[in-house]
Amino acid sequence: MPGTPVRAALLSIEGTNNDAELAVALRSVGARPEVVHLKQFEGRGIPRGERRHLDDFDLLLFPGGFSAGDSVRAGAILAARVRSSIGHELEEFVRSGRLVGGICNGFQTLTELGLLPGRPDGRLGPPTAALLANDSGHYECRPTFLRWDGGNFRPFAELPPGWVFLAPSGHAEGRIHLGNGETARTLEARGQILFRWVGPDGAPSPGYPWNPNGSPGDVAGLTNPTGTVFGLMPHPERADFADQAPDWSRRRGRPVGPGPGQRFFAEIVRDAVRRRAAVPGGRAAAR
Amino acid sequence: MWADGVGTVPIRSASAAALRAVNERYRFGFHEGELARLRAYYRREGREPTDVELAGLAQSWSEHCSYKSSRPILRAHFGALPKLPRVLGTGDAGVMAFEPGWAYALRIESHNHPSAVEPYGGAATGIGGILRDVLAVGGQPVALADPLFFGPPETPPGEIPAGVKSPRYLRGGVVAGVRDYGNRVGVPTVSGGIYYDPAYVVNPLVNVGCVGLLPRGRLQRNRARAAGDRLVLTGGRTGRDGLGGVAFASQELTSRSEEESRGAVQLGNPILKEPLIHACLDAYDRGLVRGVKDLGGGGLASASGELVHAGGFGSEIDLDRVPRREAGLAPWEIWISESQERMLLAVRPADLDRVLGIFGKHDVPAVDIGRVVAGDRERLSFAGRPAADLSLPFRIDPPPVRRPRRAPPRPPRSPPDRGPLPESPAALLQEMLLAPDSVSREPILRMYDHEVQGRTVVKPLHGRVTSPSHGDAAVIRPRRESPRGLAVTVAAQPWSCAIDPEGGARAVVEEAARNLYAVGARPDAFSDCLNFGNPEDPVVMGQLDRVVRGLAAGARALGVAIPSGNVSLYNGGLGRGIPPTPVLLAVGIVPDVGRAVTSDLKEEGDPLYLLGATSPNLGGSLYARRRGAVGPLPPTDPAALRRWGERLLAAIRHDEVRAAHDISDGGIAVTLGEMAFGGSVGFDVDLAATGLADPARALVAEGGSRIVVEVARDGEAGFRRRFRGLPAVRLGTVGGGPGLFHVGTRPVAELDVAATYARWRGG
Repeated sequence: MPGTPVRAALLSIEGTNNDAELAVALRSVGARPEVVHLKQFEGRGIPRGERRHLDDFDLLLFPGGFSAGDSVRAGAILAARVRSSIGHELEEFVRSGRLVGGICNGFQTLTELGLLPGRPDGRLGPPTAALLANDSGHYECRPTFLRWDGGNFRPFAELPPGWVFLAPSGHAEGRIHLGNGETARTLEARGQILFRWVGPDGAPSPGYPWNPNGSPGDVAGLTNPTGTVFGLMPHPERADFADQAPDWSRRRGRPVGPGPGQRFFAEIVRDAVRRRAAVPGGRAAAR
Repeated sequence: MWADGVGTVPIRSASAAALRAVNERYRFGFHEGELARLRAYYRREGREPTDVELAGLAQSWSEHCSYKSSRPILRAHFGALPKLPRVLGTGDAGVMAFEPGWAYALRIESHNHPSAVEPYGGAATGIGGILRDVLAVGGQPVALADPLFFGPPETPPGEIPAGVKSPRYLRGGVVAGVRDYGNRVGVPTVSGGIYYDPAYVVNPLVNVGCVGLLPRGRLQRNRARAAGDRLVLTGGRTGRDGLGGVAFASQELTSRSEEESRGAVQLGNPILKEPLIHACLDAYDRGLVRGVKDLGGGGLASASGELVHAGGFGSEIDLDRVPRREAGLAPWEIWISESQERMLLAVRPADLDRVLGIFGKHDVPAVDIGRVVAGDRERLSFAGRPAADLSLPFRIDPPPVRRPRRAPPRPPRSPPDRGPLPESPAALLQEMLLAPDSVSREPILRMYDHEVQGRTVVKPLHGRVTSPSHGDAAVIRPRRESPRGLAVTVAAQPWSCAIDPEGGARAVVEEAARNLYAVGARPDAFSDCLNFGNPEDPVVMGQLDRVVRGLAAGARALGVAIPSGNVSLYNGGLGRGIPPTPVLLAVGIVPDVGRAVTSDLKEEGDPLYLLGATSPNLGGSLYARRRGAVGPLPPTDPAALRRWGERLLAAIRHDEVRAAHDISDGGIAVTLGEMAFGGSVGFDVDLAATGLADPARALVAEGGSRIVVEVARDGEAGFRRRFRGLPAVRLGTVGGGPGLFHVGTRPVAELDVAATYARWRGG
């Protein structure tokens, strides 16, 4: 890919703990990730050289973890802090068409910010959905399978429906509850279902444990109405290489090369490059 | 003369009874001779002690902090081990060479007593503490392990003494504590074990191990380097939790432990630990830290005393500068509080602002509380006035206690353990696989995040995604840039150690080594957690001596280092002791993680081999335990294990091995059962290959250090050549629906793989 690498900000506060593997995954597809503490965006008390501006980046990702201990509700405190400090910049970022994504706790945070399922104007707002406690009542760390059935997710515009891949899940609160009269069906009609939980053979309605949290409609991830904000519960960044699969040793020979998650990130980074080329001045400002 | 809030305690002319009363009132836990030593010291000093001084002394003189009972034994056996050049550090955690430029750290320790009274908090802060030990040598924590010991979950309430919590409740609380702390702090829990025995009803054991990764240049020393350096206290605020935790850990449990000692259990906060780790690593990476110590048992008193004393210095500390959670803490409480998530750093005065800035960026409090000074005095102040002025050598180094030891009884040798067992092989096969000790640990493992950080290449559950089964060790790939991996496992055999402490300890070493060989790792380092009873009992001291001797002998034969460890004494209470329970956290090097081997059977038609010499002895086995029988242990020979273990590594390197699983609890019945479960495939095995005439005994015998290996068909010739002259026999083949055991042509037991798997897995 020509040009400077895609710059991705991985937003962190205390308890954000999946930033390392997400950075590895982004690097594996040629992007330049940087873990940025929220305080570096806020600027207060931070040396000049370590301050950052959202405009410096092509891509903003909210990694998984337990931001602020998941007190109140998962992601709620991080969302409140983001809203009060860089809320306007974030809205501008979304409206500029740059991708904003959240994985696991990041998905919970984007939901708390009102960005998912979100509004057509890309503005922050009160949450219209929530990620509730798993049906099992506890944390679930297990291999899960996802299927892309087509939708508005811009990086997947060229990807035919039916892609099934394995990505591990690890969460205690991932059961999607939709408000505002929305259902999995209405979201699907608008192309806002990113992934569904399926069985190991790709079959729909797999039940527990392949749907690890009991999410209605087996919804594992969502996009916003413009297909540029996305969130998902499972962790493609932990399926970035072949040797991260739970069963690689069943095949003869060394596990080499990418895992299925790498395709996910490759499409996202390709999309960021395309957007940069399409939008005049779309390159992340060099500071 | 002393600051407000600092009390003096008149002891110089106190009678023995009055001294005991002081000791009781503050719960200092000094022993009789120590009280006399204190009195003599203050008579020489010509003044009375302050309560701050006595509180600090009580920490560092406790068994927990000083190892005063165990030190002579550890020195005698571990001290005599050869110095291995790949050991880079033996501070708060052991540090081992990993690959050029990189090292790994390891340590295991106990959090037994806190977990007995408050299982959730006790286990959580156990994880918190072991993370700090690894952080204190510069390591980024990359893996956790949790070997746990409880009473049997089905223990009837009538058999649980008053004031003791039910094993089921303890297990639930401990697992939840490990889960919530480990998951939130973002370190994968990749290994562990749950062991049940009535001996652990009163005093469960909660051991926690951690492995860390560091560039060699980031290795931190746990001692001050220069007078004038500032002492920076970082992390959590100080409160009243964890007061007197080390004294609590240095006495037996009682029926009143709950009421009296709940306050000794700390409160953990993984969401503060997580940025504390980041900030410390950040400060280390910039070369701004000259010495560091974590605040664990004994709080600031232990950490600051040990940090400056190890460097040959003294200190000046203003207790008033310690950030507090609540008003009204007495200076002595600030001094010894075991509030969690705190680290003490020594930094150059010129670097102070940069260090404070780094912690500020991560929203972690950091305060300059004092400095390192020349000399050997420890001078504390509070509100601008003195609070303590002590000789540090006197405070930190109590004389070792030479406790009487009695040699354990000779292990039973006769009658010979070889006749036929009364049960049918078919019944034993089911019984061994479905015992609470054997059934799938999946319900617990799925609650632990074993994937976070994306480094876990061989996971705690192996096999098909639809039928996961147990393996021997997890393998992590610490650095994506390199194919080199670390295998992590734990091993414990308290039942064998109860029969023969020394032979049992060697068996623990062999089990740890087998677990590593089986996944394709060369055993590299052990960290030992020595859980024992009351050291004032000569039998316990005799057991400790024999166990340490056995561990050292095993490690020497295998060429393995023991760069760190922990001793936990006074386990037991209410008239019940625990069996000697040495637990190993074992780490091996996998040269190429892409060649790591899992336990699940892979392909129909592949030959199965049995490596190692079979012993008929059932002492310490799951079978014998379930029958309440005690018999001679199988012999051990770690040097022989190393010889054929190396061949197994070579076979793995040459792609001749498809699956491997060690034989331990439940014998070959459980080993082959678990291998079949993971692959959802049967096998055909001739038990005559074990050399034991009785098929029932052949199924349940555990001893002789053995591994079952699935060999690739196209690698069999090479594999046989490699093992010529070594103990390796062909057992049978992989394949078919059921698992078939026979002797010659006579069928003796059949395993319905799918049906038994469903029961083994539960649900």
